[in-house]
Amino acid sequence: MNDYENILLHRLKWTYLLLVVLTLMTPVIYVMYISFNANGFGANEYAFTLEFYGLIFSDELLIGALRWTLMLAVVVTLIAIPMALLAAKYYKAADNKLFPVFLLLAPLFVPPDILGSALLVFFKNLNLTFVWLGDQLGMSLFDSWFRLSFLTATIGLIIYTIPYSFVVILITMGRYHPEQTEAARACGANGWRAFWDIEFPQIRAGVFSACAFTVILVFNEYTRTSLLKGGFDTFTTVLISQMLNTGMSGQSYAMSALVSFVAIAAIGSIIIFTMLRAETLSRVARAKAEPVMS
Amino acid sequence: MSNPLTDMADGDTFPVGLQKKAPLRERLVPWAFRAPLVFMLLFFAFPMAMTVVFSVFERTMFWMEPGFTLFSYENFFFSARLVNFLNSMKYSVISVVICFAFGFPIAVFVRKSIPQIAQHRVVLLFILPFMVSEIIRVFALRPVLQRNGLINTTLLDLGIIDEPITALLYTHTGVVIGEVLSFLPFIVFSGFLAMEAVPKFIFEVCDDLGVGPWRRFKDVILPLAAPGIFAGSVFIFVNGLGVALLPNILGGAGAVNAGLIATQAITALDFPLAMAVSAIMMTTLMTLLWVGHRLFDLTKILTPLS
Repeated sequence: MNDYENILLHRLKWTYLLLVVLTLMTPVIYVMYISFNANGFGANEYAFTLEFYGLIFSDELLIGALRWTLMLAVVVTLIAIPMALLAAKYYKAADNKLFPVFLLLAPLFVPPDILGSALLVFFKNLNLTFVWLGDQLGMSLFDSWFRLSFLTATIGLIIYTIPYSFVVILITMGRYHPEQTEAARACGANGWRAFWDIEFPQIRAGVFSACAFTVILVFNEYTRTSLLKGGFDTFTTVLISQMLNTGMSGQSYAMSALVSFVAIAAIGSIIIFTMLRAETLSRVARAKAEPVMS
Repeated sequence: MSNPLTDMADGDTFPVGLQKKAPLRERLVPWAFRAPLVFMLLFFAFPMAMTVVFSVFERTMFWMEPGFTLFSYENFFFSARLVNFLNSMKYSVISVVICFAFGFPIAVFVRKSIPQIAQHRVVLLFILPFMVSEIIRVFALRPVLQRNGLINTTLLDLGIIDEPITALLYTHTGVVIGEVLSFLPFIVFSGFLAMEAVPKFIFEVCDDLGVGPWRRFKDVILPLAAPGIFAGSVFIFVNGLGVALLPNILGGAGAVNAGLIATQAITALDFPLAMAVSAIMMTTLMTLLWVGHRLFDLTKILTPLS
């Protein structure tokens, strides 16, 4: 039966869909609710407060961790997005698509603890090999290349985020007609100009969405970062160590809620931006399509 | 058709025989497109393959040294770890079935009944929970599931139960609940991509032929959408086996999966054992993907994106 013939059934299905989204969000919403309660979790009386949020911003350890996290997010985004873009262009042109798609999407299927452990041991061995190489050559130039550090955390996070940005960019590229590049080349544009002036403006939304996803994923990531980061702390590693050591305090709830607020605001902005942009574009297209009345 | 691998190179063309050698910069451009693959080969495929080699190294006090021993595998296969691993497989399968039962109908509904222009926006709704850190979502489940948590207080207030349900947390049930809430969006995404292979007119044809919903699902939708369903299921199954924080935070005694065994081995400085667990997980994953590819051709999932 067609859903539109049975409007009640259609509404029921919508209700179910929204209920599932709400269920998935319930733990996060509940944490947000508790984070504003001065009496904490499980209290009979609810007293609204912003005190725990104030504590976050007065904690120097947390502010330092936040700085590292943002730096990591920016560096990973600056490297992973151009890589995903190049990979998507390669995939579109490749005759054998199985190999690139397998290599680029496989990290999605590898659990974080397994990937993190494998990279940890790999980098430790690589570092030992480089130190040995340096000893043989009588120099210390190679000694700290692959010691657990910002670099190893960055590599681990690029591997983690690249499948997501690759898919997001590929989706937007699917709507681009390559004939436009051919036309630009026929008009004398070189490869870079054809890409930058013709193709990029049309896939820009996908590239920026991929940037936003990458920043959020890096900001939220715990397992791979904690295994590969070396001597610094990120926002989530501080949060989790606090939770594991002292249990869920008011500040832990506020930190969890804050991260969730930022992520939801970012993804919400993307949804609203794409909806408004689609609306604007369709309005422009409709205006162009209207017959000129003289 | 233009080829991006050569298009980006800014070169003139010369008649055959008179072709001058392109400058180094232009010859390097096609390789720039291969750079991400080279990076993934070096820092993803190679380290994952090396887990097999490291797993047969000999354990030392704080590290490991080259050698050949199967002690780590013995340590895994002839101990309680194997029982825990097999148990986590069982609970992962349960999670896959629950995720499919709750998530796949959503993918069918979105493809079948929502106008095409709005479909991607509806799917974006499922990205929303996924964008909040998994570890925060899992930690956040504790105040929801525990004895005086949201579920128990709500059910007590409504008079549905007389005593709080204690089986929701620190049990295998808690782990399954965590897996379902963590991974359900993936079956919606993969189902959504898979349903691209089921044209809308198929539903009308089935209606015209008087085919019931169950037969339509079993004989038409399932075979056509199989690659996407399989990919989503493998993702949930493997992550159920490998994400350590789920049994760590929500499970009780005996709730141990491969990821937790690997992280516990690293904490105990038993690196060969951690690598053996990683190698076993990779073998499981590769076998599943190979079987799936032979049966359903998994590249079909990305056809709509190409």
